[in-house]
Amino acid sequence: MPVTLRLKRPPIVPLEAEFLSPDVLATLSHAEISAMIVHHGKRRLPLSEFFDVEGERSEDLVLHGELHKLRWVGRGMRRGSITVHGTIGMHLGAYMRGGRIDVHGNAGDWIGAEMKDGTIRIRGNAGGQIGAAYRGAMSGMRNGLIMIDGSAGLEVGMRMRRGTIVVGGPTRDFTGLQMKGGTILLRSGAEIRTGAWMQRGTIISLKPLQMMPTFTYSTTTTPGFLPLLSRHLAPHGITLPTGPYQLYRGDRAVPGKGEILVLA
Amino acid sequence: MGGKVTCTLGEVKQRADFIIYWGGNPAECHPRHFTKYTIMQKSKFLPRGRKDRTMVLVDIRETKSAKAADIFLQVRPGKDFELITILRALIKDQPVRDEDIAETGLDRAAVEDLVRRMKGAKFGCMFFGMGLSMTRGKHMNSAALLTLAAEMNAFTKFVAMPMRGHGNVTGADVIMRWQTGYPFGISFNRGYPRYNPGEFSTVDVLVRGDCDAAFIIGADPGATMPQPAIDHLARIPTIVLDPHITHTSRLARVHITTAPQGISAPGTAYRMDELPMPLSPALKSPYPTDEEVVRRINEAIAKKPFWLPDGGPSPHQWTSQVNL
Repeated sequence: MPVTLRLKRPPIVPLEAEFLSPDVLATLSHAEISAMIVHHGKRRLPLSEFFDVEGERSEDLVLHGELHKLRWVGRGMRRGSITVHGTIGMHLGAYMRGGRIDVHGNAGDWIGAEMKDGTIRIRGNAGGQIGAAYRGAMSGMRNGLIMIDGSAGLEVGMRMRRGTIVVGGPTRDFTGLQMKGGTILLRSGAEIRTGAWMQRGTIISLKPLQMMPTFTYSTTTTPGFLPLLSRHLAPHGITLPTGPYQLYRGDRAVPGKGEILVLA
Repeated sequence: MGGKVTCTLGEVKQRADFIIYWGGNPAECHPRHFTKYTIMQKSKFLPRGRKDRTMVLVDIRETKSAKAADIFLQVRPGKDFELITILRALIKDQPVRDEDIAETGLDRAAVEDLVRRMKGAKFGCMFFGMGLSMTRGKHMNSAALLTLAAEMNAFTKFVAMPMRGHGNVTGADVIMRWQTGYPFGISFNRGYPRYNPGEFSTVDVLVRGDCDAAFIIGADPGATMPQPAIDHLARIPTIVLDPHITHTSRLARVHITTAPQGISAPGTAYRMDELPMPLSPALKSPYPTDEEVVRRINEAIAKKPFWLPDGGPSPHQWTSQVNL
């Protein structure tokens, strides 16, 4: 039986609960989970002040409610699963190393920031800085898969080094900013400055993009790795046209060797 | 990114033979800047003053500062980041297409002339204003210019500096950096400083409704911030310390009139180049200083520790961390 938390008292200010991770909850009894301390602003309060808790000692965590002020859920998780029925706040799955997170609703900023492995799926919209590096950090996500069914905000995949991000809806500015590796698939395109200051990595867009002036058209091609990426994404119900794609290279300002593929 | 390569205004006055103003209008907003620190000054290294210096203005419209400039480059609105990125490519001799340069509102000849002059300068300085830092792209526009300045040091000495305004804003950054290691966007809610602009910066906290009280010293967010932030300030208990009745005072629960800094209250203000300037009061004021009000609030809180729940940081910890 999974550990189930139902919101009973909405927090007024951000509620930080980084221990809400399957690794931690797998060894805790019902009483211990209820007594875990969350930070409501600067106040330290037991989890039971905000949630009705069901279940114990499980690697599966289920959250119910409008949790847009709940932050740091699944921080550094290595195994198990988290399912959210409702909205969820910032830093979901930040630094995660394994396991699976599924959100049936919208999510905030910094989803999967600096994650090393695992899978995150957001069925609604997400905020900015998906899979990004925190301010001052050199690299964002290093592996794993993030799927956003809806739209996403600014700086998606900022400084990411490896891994895959798929966004179903449009993304805002600076998608793939300072990207160092990995793949971003944009099914509905992006606003401006996509791939700015890219060093390496691949951005695939199924819709036309406004290119940075420092990207150069290279060729129209059908890349050989696309069938491999399609196979990787097929179990999640994501299909990818085989092409052809227009290949742009840049960013020459760095100068970088990133590539942007736009479906022709 | 290359960090912030900067210097004092004294060094600019003595050495800068090539000055770029980007997205700012110093002729109207910093009227003494030209005469005291930049283009008009004669110095040991630039004895002919204005004749030894070249000034470039990059802006979206021809402001009064354009009359003082040797070269005025009118960039298309919202294309600053693209133009700076093109400059970064051109200084490294990377090819950029004519039509991509034309998208910024400039032609190749003007941009290549700028690159040539930048590389040929002995000491270059870029000042940037809110026309760059507060338009679409915001922090990335500033980061782009700072990176360009850092990269120019592969060819010649180059620095960059923001054109600050609104009193002692530089002082707030400098003090927070000195106390916490971070300049702004800091949260103390866990008892130690954490930094994340966008999450902890004031405008974002207010827009999301992430605070249940506001304490505002010497600022007027009610006049400058977006409407959702102003609406939230009106909903929560807001306390304002200011010498004047401001827009924020009108929506605040409490306004405490304080003595104006530098006129009736002593202290230290930081110039835009982060140099501390001691202020001596010229007039007496019947009102207390900001420092005195904050100290008395801290003392009042310290006398009533039962206000704080178990496990929260003590008021003494706040005092030692923030040390206002």
